Amino acid sequence: MKRKYKGEVRTITGNAAAAYGAMLCRPDVVALYPITPQTEVVEQLSRFSADGLLDAEMVEVEGENTAMNIAAAATISGGRVFTASSSWGLAFMYDALLQTAGFRAPVVMVNVNREMPGILAVSTGQQDMIGTRDAGWIQIIAEDCQEILDLVIMAYRLAEDFDIQVPVMVNYDGFYLSYLSEGVNIPAREEVDVFLAPLKEQPERPKLVPGGPLGCGTHGIEKGFVELRYKHCAAMERAKKKFDEIDRLFGESFGRSYGGQIEEYRMEDAEIALVASGSAAGTVKTVIDSKRKQGLKIGLVKLRMFRPFPSERLSRVFRGKKAIGVIDRSVCFGWNCGPIYMELRALSPEIGLIPIMSFIDGLANMDISIVHIERMIDSVYAASQGKPYQRVTWVVLEE
Amino acid sequence: MIVKKKKLPKVFDYFQDEDAFAGGISICSGCPMELLLRFMSKVLGKDIIIVGTPSCSAIVLYGQNIGSWHKLAYYGCLMTGVASSATGISRYYRKIGKDVTVVCFTGDGCAADVGFQPLSGAAERNENFIYICYDNEGYMNTGVQRSSTTPFGAKTSTTPIGVARRGNETTGKNLPFIMAMHKVSYAATATLSHLEDLAKKLIKAKEKKNEGFAYIHVFSPCPTGWGFPMDLSIEVCRMAVRTNYFPLWEAERGKFRLTRKIKKPRPLKDLVRMIRKFSHLTDEEMGMLEKEVHERYKLIEGMTRMMPLEENP
Repeated sequence: MKRKYKGEVRTITGNAAAAYGAMLCRPDVVALYPITPQTEVVEQLSRFSADGLLDAEMVEVEGENTAMNIAAAATISGGRVFTASSSWGLAFMYDALLQTAGFRAPVVMVNVNREMPGILAVSTGQQDMIGTRDAGWIQIIAEDCQEILDLVIMAYRLAEDFDIQVPVMVNYDGFYLSYLSEGVNIPAREEVDVFLAPLKEQPERPKLVPGGPLGCGTHGIEKGFVELRYKHCAAMERAKKKFDEIDRLFGESFGRSYGGQIEEYRMEDAEIALVASGSAAGTVKTVIDSKRKQGLKIGLVKLRMFRPFPSERLSRVFRGKKAIGVIDRSVCFGWNCGPIYMELRALSPEIGLIPIMSFIDGLANMDISIVHIERMIDSVYAASQGKPYQRVTWVVLEE
Repeated sequence: MIVKKKKLPKVFDYFQDEDAFAGGISICSGCPMELLLRFMSKVLGKDIIIVGTPSCSAIVLYGQNIGSWHKLAYYGCLMTGVASSATGISRYYRKIGKDVTVVCFTGDGCAADVGFQPLSGAAERNENFIYICYDNEGYMNTGVQRSSTTPFGAKTSTTPIGVARRGNETTGKNLPFIMAMHKVSYAATATLSHLEDLAKKLIKAKEKKNEGFAYIHVFSPCPTGWGFPMDLSIEVCRMAVRTNYFPLWEAERGKFRLTRKIKKPRPLKDLVRMIRKFSHLTDEEMGMLEKEVHERYKLIEGMTRMMPLEENP
């Protein structure tokens, strides 16, 4: 029995929001394998399937690697798919992850960020996402439960766009968001259908059909391969503006938009700025509001898209600022700094030679607290006044 | 004048389509795997989707550079992802209500080793596709390394003969039996010397895949890796059946039937002396290999008595 879904406002967790997002987009094949802190996504989707809300082939697989291979193959056959994982699961599907991107299979997956130095670090951290940054996937990051649901819907519009055709990974902080309950506005299925309808009007992508002479994975060598890589990179570049556009269209349809690749918070007249992503951005906004009351001209740039890196918009927003602090919930081995910081430093010629500081905080479920953020802002402000500054700060180790 | 038509062998009755592969494929002469692929495409017809991996078969299935050797739909994926990719394809087509024959074609290294988890998972879920494993008892494409189906005593490049070690020390995985014990809809062994048997099993697999997982394990000796003349491939296949080294059987949902009963099995030595990878075996080592072969045969024979599969009407 197939049931309609009319939409409602409900208090649900981040995981449930991801599951609702997926359910509303009508995937053909859903591959499921549980892992903390993602498990609830799997359970919720199975519940939808049992209740007749999700008419999809549900494959309860024996491992994440299988989940990703199923997703890629079903997509290449012409289907819409969904899968979700986290940390070690993402690592276990690494080969399939690269192949999915290599096939340009428009898979949409959710990755619930979790640390991964050993089995016991069952805690949040973006290291899993960072570890796959060069896998050829589009990576976007949500800040709260509502944004998780909205991003899953936007992800299909982005991945399956004929000009893009690149898999999309929707990230959100494990524990902080996965188990957090918030009021979420869940749209009706018809509204989502209307929003995704333009995907059906575009030219059909090549599909694997019996009797059809399509060979997949038989990537050419030498120059043919170079061309494939070139085109993939070009599609990633196009994805930036496309994501801005999809965000705007989403706003028109659902009354919520987030700024596209980055969200600029009180940046117009800001002299100094922080960069944050994920659930920590909310806390940063609160601190910025109180600092503003004290007369400090500070703003926040929330990174919503990590791959492709929003270099043009970041260059524009930071031009003329006096100092920037970047909060990273992961580390960049070999550079002893945060990865987002490192990538932002690559924009120095465009931004200008201003102090850029790396703050590593929030690893392994350590709160990026108000006190921490205030200290970061104080350091960034001092740097903007020409005082000597520390390039990298491991915030909790300096207490 | 009446022209007397030459009667074609019976196996031609099973062919649906012409050979989908081009002539002159650059693979080792005498390779039964190439014959198997051509034979399979003739019996199953063109409306199939093949899922394959990097392996000897990739040379036939991939083509070279941008040129393909065949006209079939082909999904080439990693060795870890064959059964899972086939699951994805068959599930999608099931969702849209289209009957499609998806055929996985892999070697023993993929099926028994690195791709075993997804294979076992797909078998347990009884997914609707055919999985064909051509077993050449090792990693032949990378230069003859041992796999988990390499038999006891066999010489490979990772189990060489020296003063400290003498060939493969383990007895190998009985993969077709393991797959049958997943209680899949269909599991069978076959080889290239018994073509009618192979054709029947392929057709049965195509029927049975509508009920669930169909697995065919094909004995595929490797002239290059095992060390025997390339014109003896089919003879080696035949001898493997006659010595009960590779018994031919089929199983449906855990019920077994021998499709070829050998009344007077030839001594295993007749097979072993054809193959150079066994040439170093001492009498004692030969005895251990014989014991393993005997035990495997007894296992299948026992299953056909304990859990018999009725003969076809």
